[in-house]
Amino acid sequence: MANIPEISLPAETIAQIGPFAISNAMIATFTTSIIILVLAFLIRRKAGIIPSRMQVAFEGVLNFMLDKMEIAFGSREKALKFFPLIFTIFIFFLIANQFTLIPFVESIVTEDGVRLFRNPASDYSLPIVLTILILVLAHVLALASHPIRHIGNFIKIGPILKIKSIKDLPMALLDFFLGLLDIVGEVAKLASLSTRLFGNMFAGSIIIAIVAGLSSYTQFVVPIPFLALGILSGLVQAFVFAMLGTLFISSTLNAVADTNNNQ
Amino acid sequence: MEAETFKLLAAGLCMGLGAIGPGIGEGIVGGKALEAMGRNPKMADKIFTNMIVAIALAESTAIYSLVVALIILFVF
Repeated sequence: MANIPEISLPAETIAQIGPFAISNAMIATFTTSIIILVLAFLIRRKAGIIPSRMQVAFEGVLNFMLDKMEIAFGSREKALKFFPLIFTIFIFFLIANQFTLIPFVESIVTEDGVRLFRNPASDYSLPIVLTILILVLAHVLALASHPIRHIGNFIKIGPILKIKSIKDLPMALLDFFLGLLDIVGEVAKLASLSTRLFGNMFAGSIIIAIVAGLSSYTQFVVPIPFLALGILSGLVQAFVFAMLGTLFISSTLNAVADTNNNQ
Repeated sequence: MEAETFKLLAAGLCMGLGAIGPGIGEGIVGGKALEAMGRNPKMADKIFTNMIVAIALAESTAIYSLVVALIILFVF
């Protein structure tokens, strides 16, 4: 039988500080943050009117994301308001998803035989926390700006109250139940956005581990196409996570704003 | 048959059947996007990013079945 490494769905615990377990995904997350900080300082130090190559690359990424957000939010001011949050998430996953590409990072093992680093997004706790952050932010902002309208978007009593004849009743009831379905839709957003990122990254690492462990002949050249696929899906998933987060926030806020305009 | 056999069978069936729908969906999305790009090459950039988002959305059911298969294999 091939020596396929042991695959565990939750992140492996490395150390214990009081009640908190320090997992290998957490260590990788902190390392990614440090990488981003160092990159930011390096680029900030040399930033100028005549840009260096790195600065051009980063400004390109920044403008690309800002343009996409401008389309989603409708105006540049609104996009700039949410830009720091969304771009932080984007650039974090951009680097975190490629984390295992750093040479030898996967082979560092602790005394118990547990890998010291693990792709941060392949631990479910990171994607779900960021998804909850995005969705809660969207709903809190919508509630803060137009509380009654926002609740009214989900519990649609409005059409029932406006009934003039008995003929309108079926349509009003239909509206009411569609509004209730939207609540289910919000929970589905939570599940789909977080599992998409987690599933892609986890499956990517499993495929490479299985292919490399199949036999001694498939260890060196054969995993390369799968690695390339992993790089591509890491880039795409980082973009999709940030983009869908933008869409969720903007659609929730626009739904509130639109009802206001119709009055 | 033992429970282990059924576990492997269930994981395989879950992933295999769950990949059919997204496969069809992604094919439709990609094909239509290419059609649109061919008709209107100026819009290619805009269509491409929208296509990627749409593909990622269509893919989510496959990811669900992947997660279910992984849970069947590694958690139970």
